[in-house]
Amino acid sequence: MHGTSTPAPAAETTFHRSRRRRRFWARSARSAVPYGLIVPVVVVIALILGYPLYWLAKLSTQRYGLFELIQHHGSSVGFANYRSILHDSVFWHTLLRTVVFTAVNVTATMVLGLLIALLLVRVSTPVRLVLSSGLVLVWSMPVVVAVQVFYWMTNFQNGVVNYLLTQLHVGNFEQHDWYASTFSQLSLVTVLIVWGALPFVAITLFAGLAQVPRDLVEAAEVDGARPWGVFRDITVPILRPILLILTSLSIIWDFGVFTQPYLLIGQSKIHTGNYLMSVYLFEEGYFKADFGRGAAISILMLLIVAALSVVYVRRMVRIGVAQ
Amino acid sequence: MSRRSRRRLRQAGWNAVGLAVFVVMVFPVFWMISTAFKSNDQIVALKPVWFPLHPTLQHFTDAIHRPYFWRDVLNSMIVVGITVAISIVVAFLAAIALARYRFTLREVFVVLIIGIQMLPQAGLIIPLYVVLARYHQVNALSGLIVTYMTFVLPFCVWTLRGFLIGIPKDLEEAAMVDGSTRLGVFMKILLPLMGPGLVATSVFAFITTWNEYIFARVLLNDQSKQTITVWLSYFLGTSRNTDWGALMAASTLTAIPVVLFFIAVQRRIQFGLTAGAVRG
Amino acid sequence: MKRRVIVALGLVVVLAVASTAATSAATKRTAANSITVWLQTDAQSGWADVVAAANQQFQAANPGTSVNVQYQSWGDHLQKFDATLAGGGGPDVIEMGNTEMTKYMAAGAFAPLDKTQFDNSSNWLPGLAASGKYGGKTYGVPYYAGSRVVTYRKDLFKQAGITKLPATTAQYVADAKKLLAKNKQKGFSPVYLAGTDWYVAMGFVFDYGGSIATQVSHKWTGMLDSPKSIAGLTAWKNFFLAASRASKTTDETHPNPYDVYAQGQAASMVGPSWFIGSVGKKYTASTGQFVMPGHVKGQTMPGFLGGSDLAVPVTSSNKALAADWIKDFTDTQSEKALQAKGNIPNATSLLSNSVNERAAARSWFVPTAKHWVDVENGNILRNMLAQILTGKLSVKQAAQSASDNIASVLNQP
Repeated sequence: MHGTSTPAPAAETTFHRSRRRRRFWARSARSAVPYGLIVPVVVVIALILGYPLYWLAKLSTQRYGLFELIQHHGSSVGFANYRSILHDSVFWHTLLRTVVFTAVNVTATMVLGLLIALLLVRVSTPVRLVLSSGLVLVWSMPVVVAVQVFYWMTNFQNGVVNYLLTQLHVGNFEQHDWYASTFSQLSLVTVLIVWGALPFVAITLFAGLAQVPRDLVEAAEVDGARPWGVFRDITVPILRPILLILTSLSIIWDFGVFTQPYLLIGQSKIHTGNYLMSVYLFEEGYFKADFGRGAAISILMLLIVAALSVVYVRRMVRIGVAQ
Repeated sequence: MSRRSRRRLRQAGWNAVGLAVFVVMVFPVFWMISTAFKSNDQIVALKPVWFPLHPTLQHFTDAIHRPYFWRDVLNSMIVVGITVAISIVVAFLAAIALARYRFTLREVFVVLIIGIQMLPQAGLIIPLYVVLARYHQVNALSGLIVTYMTFVLPFCVWTLRGFLIGIPKDLEEAAMVDGSTRLGVFMKILLPLMGPGLVATSVFAFITTWNEYIFARVLLNDQSKQTITVWLSYFLGTSRNTDWGALMAASTLTAIPVVLFFIAVQRRIQFGLTAGAVRG
Repeated sequence: MKRRVIVALGLVVVLAVASTAATSAATKRTAANSITVWLQTDAQSGWADVVAAANQQFQAANPGTSVNVQYQSWGDHLQKFDATLAGGGGPDVIEMGNTEMTKYMAAGAFAPLDKTQFDNSSNWLPGLAASGKYGGKTYGVPYYAGSRVVTYRKDLFKQAGITKLPATTAQYVADAKKLLAKNKQKGFSPVYLAGTDWYVAMGFVFDYGGSIATQVSHKWTGMLDSPKSIAGLTAWKNFFLAASRASKTTDETHPNPYDVYAQGQAASMVGPSWFIGSVGKKYTASTGQFVMPGHVKGQTMPGFLGGSDLAVPVTSSNKALAADWIKDFTDTQSEKALQAKGNIPNATSLLSNSVNERAAARSWFVPTAKHWVDVENGNILRNMLAQILTGKLSVKQAAQSASDNIASVLNQP
């Protein structure tokens, strides 16, 4: 649609000026088109998020508790909120825990998602239909509901998971308390998150795999390539952009995850020793009604997740800019 | 063993693995549905009841007869319908800009789109409430709709852009040479080709908005104006009795629209999710 | 295809217009004569008729007014309230848990009320009335209270040869051993008690003369590490280990004790008196209740007096009407109706002799400190209890660290 400019005619001095002007207008009209197209998106985002973001930034430099909230007026404290957070050992422990948690979740999601996608290619059509509709069912379950079902399945008294593990002779899981230690709690949260994310990742990757040219694979196999070689040299390069997008989205989502850990571990078991970043933000900002500190944590989180995903995002931006 | 039977055996093996994965993945969903049909005694039984032999519909009737069920389902449909429709249209325009034009602020725009997704939503609850209250959009579905749009739009723009890149430009240029108008090109060529992409993106938007809970909870106060996930949370909000059977029945009911939507668009999505994402 | 798209777009426009029209109509309706009330869902599922009657009475006395009751849930109502304090659009009357009041009163979130306006205000339950007072002013009107009692299986007690209900904690432990001897299935609890149920655990602390924290000239001191408190915690630990097979790290709602009871996995359980209505069809007939005994014969275990207050937020534009509504909702007639639903009414003059009201006679309450709610939400007590039961720390160590922790939270500016 663009770039069909013709070289300027040499002579015709009479119309020269007006035509140039007209062309100037035409060109600027044309260069305005993309801006016109993005205006609605930018307006919606700016209108809804612009002021809250400004507020958040301002709040992070203020003492803003319940009293100030009611008075609608905080008092400026400079960077005191940031300083106090950076000097809080809970913050650093939480950050470390969340980074490890994110790494485990993203890795598990991507690896299992890819395996399921590869499996979808291998199985025969009826099985593929069954499996993919199963994935869809899982995807359609609201997080709030999934949390309740997971809790119900792992409850101490008659959790069906305990029963199954005992029956399968994995060990004696009668009255096993899945929520007893931080490790066990966060492992359950990981299972819940990965389980919930797999359908999206697997279906997307499967769709990507469907684009791997069949003849290319066959040609490679005729040449004696091993399945692993085919995977590495043909499949992965084709999937790379999609893997990139999924990985970066997963990092962003898992780093900031709130609903699953908060509801599954349960408010009564949340303490500084099992915080994840969003839970930390929520407890400091809302429960302790220190909104200024909460805002500062939000901004730090934004910076950290940007730093964590910078490699992926830079590549994505490059992809986004290049065509 | 002949080559063919070995091949068949291997295929059977893959199928078995596929079914095993299916069983593990779907188990929680199965457990939810099966619990919904059990009597209260069976629900708390120490030895799990796998299939209720005398399924009861009691929990479903209980759930439906709780106040505001139909009202809140309708609210959810309105919110999701409008959010998805407007987001897709608006995001499509922006996606065209990204995929078909070069402009100075493009990089800034891309960073904005990705950056929005990095905002911790928990931190935005009160600021968002304050700004929406200023426009009198608190306790109103329209306020929730615009909130959802801000979070759905970035993803939609990004995926739709991917789909657009997959469509060769020559098609449009040829049509332009043939004397079609820009709008004509858009309606006749771009739109039909974009079908799968639009469907795939709207599925994502649909599920995200249908399942969203936190903002809906904070922004909507009237029970007659709440969405279905908030309605669900009332099963757990009381300090009294949690009615597991009714909760599971209600959860099953809320999943139905998503499944129906999926079935309706399922055939297109198989391509859908591909093209967009792969063409980076 | 094209036509379908156009139809779809048209539909969207119609829906959008309809929804904005509906909202603008709704905003207009919230005019001067309407009040918004936030009650917890307990009222919706338990006594919606009492609410309706109060509304009717209120509207009869104030013609042309309307009441919009919006039900909230305990988990997130404070967050929602915070948002409305910042942005407006909040309620005119709000139900608050009695342990949640102090923080908000201290921050100036509520309008002061004229106590004499309300029925029975000179006889309000002392514990509940204290939770609604700050700096000498009344901000919260007691709504109802609930106490904790023992719900038990008469048949199992009889089977185990227990002829008399326990009069001391020691007797109760002895009975628990008898019950255990008769019921050998795995996971059976003679007394089901969740490991981190701090309401029960603190009852032991108070029974032995201990306390959580005290304030001397504006400075809070943690008291859990005092010898008396430690004696109480030790007694509680021994009681739990002897009588309960519940998870040592779980709270009193995961699972619900009455679900365990309904499974036949408990001979008794400690909890709110309304548990009796949730034990399942099978055991309804064989279920009774008694007051939890203390360690000294003739004294009951001090129970946590949980309850709710009603308050008027400063952001309300109809404070007088709001107070009127509270008056109607807490008058003698309403309170009697609440009592009939198994709640403890808000005034001593209304008390009868039901088991939960007897249990309320000896009760304890949390420290009325501005930051107490942070101690609760930070799960400092629950964490301590889990540490004690799992043996991670000794009673003394755990109490010491919790006590320091509590002091530092309560002494925040």
